[in-house]
Amino acid sequence: MIDTARPTSTPPTTGPFRGTAAPAEPLEVAAVRRRRAGRRRAATVDLLGILAWASAAMAVTLWLVTPGSHSVSGVGGWLTDAGIVAGLIGTDLVLVMLVLAARVPLIDRVFGQDNAIAVHRSLGKPVLYLLLAHGLLLTLGYSASSGSGPIAETIALFSTPDMPLAYLSLGLFVAVVVTSLVAVRRRLPYEAWHVIHLLSYAAVLVALPHMLSVGSVLAHGTWQRVYWIALYVLALGLIALYRIVLPIVVTLRHRIRVVAVEPIAPGVVSIHLAGRDLDALGARGGQYGVWRFWTAKTWWHAHPVSFSAVPGRDRARITVRDLGAGSARLGRITPGTTVSLEGPYGLFTSQARTAPFLALVASGIGITPVRALLEDTDLRPGEATVLLRGSDTSQQYLWQETAALAESTGSRLYAMVGNRARSGESWMTEDDLRRGVTLRSVFPRLLESDLYVCGPRAWSDLVVREARLAGVPEHQIHQERFES
Amino acid sequence: MRARVIAGGVVTSAAVLVIGWQLGGQPAVTAQSGAATGSTSGSSSSSGTGSSSSGTGSSSSDSGSSSSDSGSSSSAGSGTSSSVSGTFAGAATQTQFGPVQVQIVVADGKITDVTALQLTDRDGRSEQISQQAAPILRQEALQAQSAKIQAVSGATYTSEGYTTSLQSAIDKAGL
Repeated sequence: MIDTARPTSTPPTTGPFRGTAAPAEPLEVAAVRRRRAGRRRAATVDLLGILAWASAAMAVTLWLVTPGSHSVSGVGGWLTDAGIVAGLIGTDLVLVMLVLAARVPLIDRVFGQDNAIAVHRSLGKPVLYLLLAHGLLLTLGYSASSGSGPIAETIALFSTPDMPLAYLSLGLFVAVVVTSLVAVRRRLPYEAWHVIHLLSYAAVLVALPHMLSVGSVLAHGTWQRVYWIALYVLALGLIALYRIVLPIVVTLRHRIRVVAVEPIAPGVVSIHLAGRDLDALGARGGQYGVWRFWTAKTWWHAHPVSFSAVPGRDRARITVRDLGAGSARLGRITPGTTVSLEGPYGLFTSQARTAPFLALVASGIGITPVRALLEDTDLRPGEATVLLRGSDTSQQYLWQETAALAESTGSRLYAMVGNRARSGESWMTEDDLRRGVTLRSVFPRLLESDLYVCGPRAWSDLVVREARLAGVPEHQIHQERFES
Repeated sequence: MRARVIAGGVVTSAAVLVIGWQLGGQPAVTAQSGAATGSTSGSSSSSGTGSSSSGTGSSSSDSGSSSSDSGSSSSAGSGTSSSVSGTFAGAATQTQFGPVQVQIVVADGKITDVTALQLTDRDGRSEQISQQAAPILRQEALQAQSAKIQAVSGATYTSEGYTTSLQSAIDKAGL
């Protein structure tokens, strides 16, 4: 059932709230400014997308301008040409995938790292097919040209320098993609999957020698070779910079350590952190970090966890629920533990707003970014509406803090407690479904609102689906995907 | 992915590809004329991009004869055919993967050495194939003392070019 949660007078546990003063900028002016910024972000995303397309075309073009590359006729020649093109496009897309996984700040800011990873995933299978086709078509093409059988040709290829490495690379790519397919990944422990995934770097690198020595397009002293090597340096350099160097710098600079571990509900802990100049992290409410706790049992597991409060100068707080084996161990870490941080990442912030009003929907542990987002947003009275969802009363952690924030900003807050409806696919409780509650009845200005949804994946997908059916434009929907 | 990205991506890619196709047409033509001059110089397996990459150019016979001239000039052929000695270069044979040309060293009517002046080098792979095949073909030729030798599997084109050029060198030596 829906009821207005009783505002609490209990002061929050972490510092004074920010952004309680209503901004002077009129609502409409702010909306226009946000819409413009949103369009700029969308244009940047489109440009990056077009650039990725163009890079694949460029790979083929560089081959076309290579003298004599496509002048060969006959079945063998055509097969060989198709194989070369498949390999070139596949390699280009592998590099695009690397860039998408590199957590480049620009990409995170305009597109969101979770979206980038979603694109990265969607490229995995097509790229594997291209690389397999590359090997297969070239073997068939060569054997058609030389008159020997495919098996003899494979043996001949195998004895060509650098080619055994290329076959190894293909094998590694198969292993990486197969283990990443969701079905298999659920059966594999996350760590095993992650270690296998790291092999993709090896796969990329061991494929390089055969491109440079056997590939006709990348012959010595050509600018095609320069272009391709530059692409490799760019992709691997971004990975090295943003996934290795920057996290080390951030960790060493801020010297974060655990101050207290506070159980706030069954299986849910708030981890209080201290460090130097944490406000300089630039973390916005709603963002997350990838955390690593340096104890003997937990150092090997990196946890993507949202800030549950906007970091202060020397204090920060994250809140975790034991979703996996690794998270469960987090409840047992002790004060003083050193913490390393990658991030902050994420577009689940007020920076991503494009509409005049704000609608926040959170369920379970999904409240953490929503609470921090509410804290970090300058709001006029009545601008924001919050809906908190829990399956039972044990899931009401951080609700009091959120209610206090809602009260201090003049936002409406609703709560909906109970199991999900059984009579149909719904994100609501059975009671509310029967009573005819909809997103639009909770958020009367839904179509002029930015809708932020965070909670279990299946649940939040249902909320987003209803929002789309109600006609909320895509750029107003912000979904934080909580996945390992 | 947004429709705008797909539309923009397709248009941009098409433009890039058309440019590539247009540019790609030019060097293929110039490469053929380059092949004639390239192969006469006789520098064997330098992996240049332009020179050796023409397909089955009709200019191969010209280059072949010109280089065989230079080969025969170095021969000190005298006396009867049975006791011929010297160095003889075969005609350059054009293959799909580049020209092949061999040179034989003859002492008293016997082939004592076969060296490859040019081997298929259209790309790194064909270069490697021919590098592997050449020692085998040389060994076979020295044993058989003729151009009637078995092709190396996986190196059919190199083998064909090799035997053809070898035969022309043997003919030139008058063995």
